[in-house]
Amino acid sequence: MDGRNVLSGEWNKRWTGIAVYLLGAAVLIYLSYRLPALLPGDFVTAMFASSHVTLTAEQDAQLRAWYSQRPDFGQYLLGLLRLDWGYSFAFLTPVSRLILEALPWTLLLAGSAHALSMALGFWAGVEAAWRRGGRAEKAAVGLMTVLEGLPEIATGVALLLVFALHAGWFPASGAQTVYARLSLWSWMLDVLHHLALPLATLVLAYLPGNFLLTRASMVMVLGEPFVQTARAKGLPPLRVRYGHAARNALLPMVTRFGLRIAFMVTGALVVETIHSYPGLGTLLFSAIAKRDLPLIQGIVLFSSLMVLAVNVALDRVYGYIDPRVAHAR
Amino acid sequence: MHVDPFGKLQSDPWFLSGLGLALLLGLAVMLGPLAAPYDPHDMSFVPLASPSAAHWLGVNDGGMDIFVELLYGLRNTVAFGMAAGGLALVLAALIGMAAAWYGGWADAVFMRLADVLLAIPAVMILIVAAAFFRPVPLSLALLLALLTWPSTAKGIRAQALVVKNRRHILASRQMGASNARIIIRHLVPELFPFYLIAFAAKARMAMFMEATLAFLGLFDPSRKSLGLMISFALKYYYLDIWWNWLLPPVFVLSLLIMAVTFLAVSLEKRFDPRLQEAL
Repeated sequence: MDGRNVLSGEWNKRWTGIAVYLLGAAVLIYLSYRLPALLPGDFVTAMFASSHVTLTAEQDAQLRAWYSQRPDFGQYLLGLLRLDWGYSFAFLTPVSRLILEALPWTLLLAGSAHALSMALGFWAGVEAAWRRGGRAEKAAVGLMTVLEGLPEIATGVALLLVFALHAGWFPASGAQTVYARLSLWSWMLDVLHHLALPLATLVLAYLPGNFLLTRASMVMVLGEPFVQTARAKGLPPLRVRYGHAARNALLPMVTRFGLRIAFMVTGALVVETIHSYPGLGTLLFSAIAKRDLPLIQGIVLFSSLMVLAVNVALDRVYGYIDPRVAHAR
Repeated sequence: MHVDPFGKLQSDPWFLSGLGLALLLGLAVMLGPLAAPYDPHDMSFVPLASPSAAHWLGVNDGGMDIFVELLYGLRNTVAFGMAAGGLALVLAALIGMAAAWYGGWADAVFMRLADVLLAIPAVMILIVAAAFFRPVPLSLALLLALLTWPSTAKGIRAQALVVKNRRHILASRQMGASNARIIIRHLVPELFPFYLIAFAAKARMAMFMEATLAFLGLFDPSRKSLGLMISFALKYYYLDIWWNWLLPPVFVLSLLIMAVTFLAVSLEKRFDPRLQEAL
């Protein structure tokens, strides 16, 4: 096979990859368009069935007709592009505004949790692999395996009980003190104070996996001949450990990071609900409880498209981290 | 590989503790209905009563015995995990092997389908389905399996591709064995330990998912579940019930996930050739 053929093979592969993501996106957009029509139950029933307001048959029919208007697929697509994702039935606000209001909190919570647990897990994993067989390493692996077995519902509830309800050190809900009119500095402290418990829960949930993965790949890298060469050249241990070995153990972590970031909204769902943190997860939860179709549609679509976008972006990042991948292109 | 594959496992503390926990919980699952002194839906007791000889863990706000709820909740979580894990494994094995064995367009179609599914967040779809269609748990487990087979199928395909060209398979092919016969008699048993690892991983994920959905209130509220107990108990945190109502389901759920995790980790350590030297 000559060079051009190989090249076009890679080219094809890459375009197939992007086509797959686009197909995924198309499926999701179409599903989200069709969803309301597929669903049993409706907003009018959910909203008025248990309320004290009694609707006449005429009002009922009018409301039902109003809430079951659907654009055709072309209009729907255009609306998506213009950030016109419809009005939330329950909040009476544009869906895009609700999502964009909740998004920063989810990004803050999940983003910092991922960044922290990645950094900690990577560092600890590299050090553990380096000290393989030692007592500290065995203890760390044991601890992390036990932590891996703790579901975040359990850690979240335990942290909430001990530190918020029992000791009272941290607030039990919310992302900031409402109506507090704080200066910028004390506002930031306030946000951090509210962030502490959900963040700790998520870090405890993500850390063990990162640690175990890094350790396993680092142990394998350490067995490679080039590490021996680096050592034989007399390079300082720190340089061998991070400059040569750890860099090669990074790739699986980046894959994991991408997958996790992509599933950020759903990943934080439970923790946001336990700690009543006003992110996208909590928004989705209340939208489901109220049968607020446009809002559910918006959140599901938004988070799904985010997954796809991150996947595409990730493909790019690999090249920077591992020159072999860039070369293969 | 075929010589005493479980030998090393018997001295692995993680495997032993996982197995011990799993046996203990399995016993509770099997004997739960026999050991339970009351009906789980019996609402005739004094609501919020403290633990006593008659009610080991007290009574919840609806007048139901918490210990009995715990037994039935555990059963439901385990059953859901096993069903979803088993279904996902069967799907993944069928698709992975078919893709590896037949190659060509079957391979291409299944693997692209797998890529599309991997890019779709399963949790979202599950939440929407659970919230709106109120399916029975078994169909939800099936949906979960339909959404999560790709990662395992890819693993099985990769392993089957290696095995496919081994000599005994070439030999039986040359002797005219049918595709089905080769797949069932040679390919399927060859990948055996991989199924255990995959099943443990999928079951763990499914149990986790069941607890999450139940905690969010997406299952039928009359169905006993550990997640639902936690979410109900959390509403009464201001009463002094956290140790007899909130903690038991949290504890049992942790034990359950831990047992499966330990088993999965130790099996993976033992049977994944890539990890063989690493761990």
